[in-house]
Amino acid sequence: MDKNLEEKLKSYGLSVEEYEKAKGIVGGELTQIHWALFSSLWSEHCSYKSSKIHLKNLYNDSKKLVSEDGENAGVVDLGEGERVAFKMESHNHPSFIEPFQGAATGVGGILRDIFTMGARPIALANYLCFGEKGSDRLEQLIEGVVSGISFYGNCVGVATVTGQTEFDKSYNTNNLVNAFALGYYGKDDEITSSKVKTPGLDVVYVGAKTGKDGVHGASMASESFDEDSESKRPTIQIGDPFYEKCLIESCLEVLSKGLVESMQDMGAAGLTSSSFEMSFGGGRGLDIDLSKVPLRDSSMGPEEILLSESQERMLLVCKPENLEEIVSTFSKWGLDAVKIGTVREEKEIKLKWNNELICEIDPAKIVDGAPRYDRPYKKIEAVDVDSAQTSDYDLSTALSSTQGSSRKWIYKQYDQRVGARTQADCDSPLGIIRLPESGRELGMVLGCRPAVMRINARLGGFDSFLSPALQLQIKGFTPWAVTDCLNFGNPQKEHIMGEFVSSLEAMSEACRVYEAPIISGNVSFYNETENQNITSTPATGVVGLKESKDFKTPASVFQKTGSKILMFSCQQVIWSGYGAEVVGDKTWVNGELNPEMVKDFGDSISELVKEGKVLSSRLVSKFGISYALSKMVTSDIGFESELDGEGSEFWNEEEMYQVLLEVEEKDVNDFMKNPYFNTVLGVTESDGSLHYDNNSYTYDQINKVALEAWGDNFEGLE
Amino acid sequence: MAKTIGVVRFLGTNCDEDIYKAVEQVGAKAKWLWYQDSFNEAEVDGVVVPGGFSYGDYLRCGALAAKSTVMDSVEEFAKKGKPVLGICNGFQVLCERKLLPGVLLKNDSGKFIDQWSGLTPVSKDSFWSIKADVKFPIAHGEGKFFIDSENLKSISDNDQIWLKYSDNPNGSVSDIAGVLNKEKNVAGLMPHPERAMHDWMGGSDGVSLLERFL
Repeated sequence: MDKNLEEKLKSYGLSVEEYEKAKGIVGGELTQIHWALFSSLWSEHCSYKSSKIHLKNLYNDSKKLVSEDGENAGVVDLGEGERVAFKMESHNHPSFIEPFQGAATGVGGILRDIFTMGARPIALANYLCFGEKGSDRLEQLIEGVVSGISFYGNCVGVATVTGQTEFDKSYNTNNLVNAFALGYYGKDDEITSSKVKTPGLDVVYVGAKTGKDGVHGASMASESFDEDSESKRPTIQIGDPFYEKCLIESCLEVLSKGLVESMQDMGAAGLTSSSFEMSFGGGRGLDIDLSKVPLRDSSMGPEEILLSESQERMLLVCKPENLEEIVSTFSKWGLDAVKIGTVREEKEIKLKWNNELICEIDPAKIVDGAPRYDRPYKKIEAVDVDSAQTSDYDLSTALSSTQGSSRKWIYKQYDQRVGARTQADCDSPLGIIRLPESGRELGMVLGCRPAVMRINARLGGFDSFLSPALQLQIKGFTPWAVTDCLNFGNPQKEHIMGEFVSSLEAMSEACRVYEAPIISGNVSFYNETENQNITSTPATGVVGLKESKDFKTPASVFQKTGSKILMFSCQQVIWSGYGAEVVGDKTWVNGELNPEMVKDFGDSISELVKEGKVLSSRLVSKFGISYALSKMVTSDIGFESELDGEGSEFWNEEEMYQVLLEVEEKDVNDFMKNPYFNTVLGVTESDGSLHYDNNSYTYDQINKVALEAWGDNFEGLE
Repeated sequence: MAKTIGVVRFLGTNCDEDIYKAVEQVGAKAKWLWYQDSFNEAEVDGVVVPGGFSYGDYLRCGALAAKSTVMDSVEEFAKKGKPVLGICNGFQVLCERKLLPGVLLKNDSGKFIDQWSGLTPVSKDSFWSIKADVKFPIAHGEGKFFIDSENLKSISDNDQIWLKYSDNPNGSVSDIAGVLNKEKNVAGLMPHPERAMHDWMGGSDGVSLLERFL
């Protein structure tokens, strides 16, 4: 092959076959503008070319889902006129190259996906995975990512209410930064579409000016890292949360005044993907003059303008008679709004530069004509290894490990209360906010335990949904809907594609059992550096609704002395757990998950909770019962085991699934009638200490170990 | 008749809706005051300068907002002895405008801090005095109150120290969380009373503080 062509294909991220296909579509050699369009719209990031055939099988056939296909995020109905839009998105590649800006713009981008649909963003969450202790740049990555999220989320004024952070060597050279955002619609708010359906309307560019930042960002995020990744720094976007805040207020103001027909944010592949998606979605072409786009750098040409990923920009479409009021509203908020084109009767997009036509193409031919790959894969079957020994370690080991230490250093830097809606903050296993109009409680939990994924992708896929679903159910919430953020390695490797397909199938099956539709999502492939792939990490964001106000939501820490702590179990899977990873033992698993049985278990516990007699509740997760109890102890309420002769195996064993409930002694007999009741673990005491199996820890000791571990594990992050 | 409380909005203010709701909750009527507009002292009975990130904290927290048109009116309003309350970024704005003594610096940790903090009232006999200890959330990166020792003595002698942290989270001089002007009608604090309005939020001590307006 021609050396020049080879170079060009590499720099634009297209394969030879894709290049030939593109030539067939345009009917000849590609112009420079074509190269720009195909490179971005056919990137993995924009086209989902390796995942689309599998994503269409995800469960979302539900009456709760009220948004159309192909919009920026999914919207679910909560009843009483209230709806929420939510989505989770990855910003892994940029956050590894430049952690602060990468993470900050990840937050900015996911917020725009929400308010572009007309919903007011009211909650944020983040799912982070970093490398093992001592790995290269670890502290710089943690510090950069956390301060980037803090910088952007706090300033834009949306509360961060929950999150999850994992550590493992498979993330040493590919960290994960997944940002979740949720937006709210009250009774009078309408869902805004991105689709352009009416000819003759104005196309208006709003927000920040366009610069050279992020040019080729989408194609960068669609390939594996190599030694040259450092040189990709110019493809990182720079975020300005102050601009975003003004953009939120101005966009919601023009929407509420009914001035806008459709709206789309400029995210990955900037103006290219936003204009092509709006046009393709509604079947109408656009006539856009790129020379009218407000620029920060006047030397930019049409190709760079099309590919720039400058932040805080939106495209909206309005009736010509509304343009003036739109311009004045944006100006009130200090932002530009400039007409750059019109909607055509025909379906082709015409791109102009100073009135001269530089490209005319039917977007369907690129968007719909994008390559679709059915990558070869080997399905992952359930495994069942003969039961093995639960690892031997003490609670201090768990609390001081990277996996078990407190995450307070992280979330203390996030504003968890702005908006004055937060009921349960990041201290709690789930975030809870109060819905503005009805005052009902909405819960949010992120899921996916990479340690489970490392054992078996099918089990991990189930658990990605079932764990957060149970977290919600044990507080009396109904798991309502789900978003996913699928982080995987190189899809051209059979075993990785196999983990993708198998975990997704399992997750979808579990969601179907719960009738909780997967309403939005994102796929991030190529989390690979020099042949090292990450643990396949299908993260989820599960949103639950507390439909009734008749009972008090159980706390997550002990409430009273003298109450009994009961353990309930559905005993499906026992596995080596986080404990084995921390002490370096061989991993194993025994049993299989049946989502129907887990749901029956969850429903059964939820019914108990709804009777209003559960004082506090907790799902037993990493490091087993002893670790869960250590999180429930408070400075003045401790725990004393009433079991005799149960060894450390009992207290450290990790099962799917066990639940702890705190109930008053007088109610114990009622609770024991539940079919999933297992045992009375013990009683709460007034000394604020944890006593079990010859172990004793004071509340202060537990906290000190868990908090100080952070500074011990990560140098300079005390 | 219900008191009317003006709530100032700058570009980037993000606790405006929260304090608006909170003052209405205690029985006042809230009224927006846009940063580009002046207002007449007769329009409102009190003013809140809310928290958030006015102008994205560019230049210095509160510095740009302090120069806006609405602050000319707030200053006139304050000079008439009417009650003005600055919360978090609003406190920074009032200090930048020299309506309150001192300045707010970066937290000792160098990081943003979000947590609940206990507060003890110091000033005893003024419009803004509260009786018992309270608990409010803090959420700031630059909340370390600083004043030189000479002026510290002066505000202390003049009973202008309004609230002190029970567990100084940010390195503030003399644990100071909130101060008053000389005339005691202008008050500023870093913690957020509007985030402590219901038990489900984690506490409701904000109610008694905002009721001072009534």
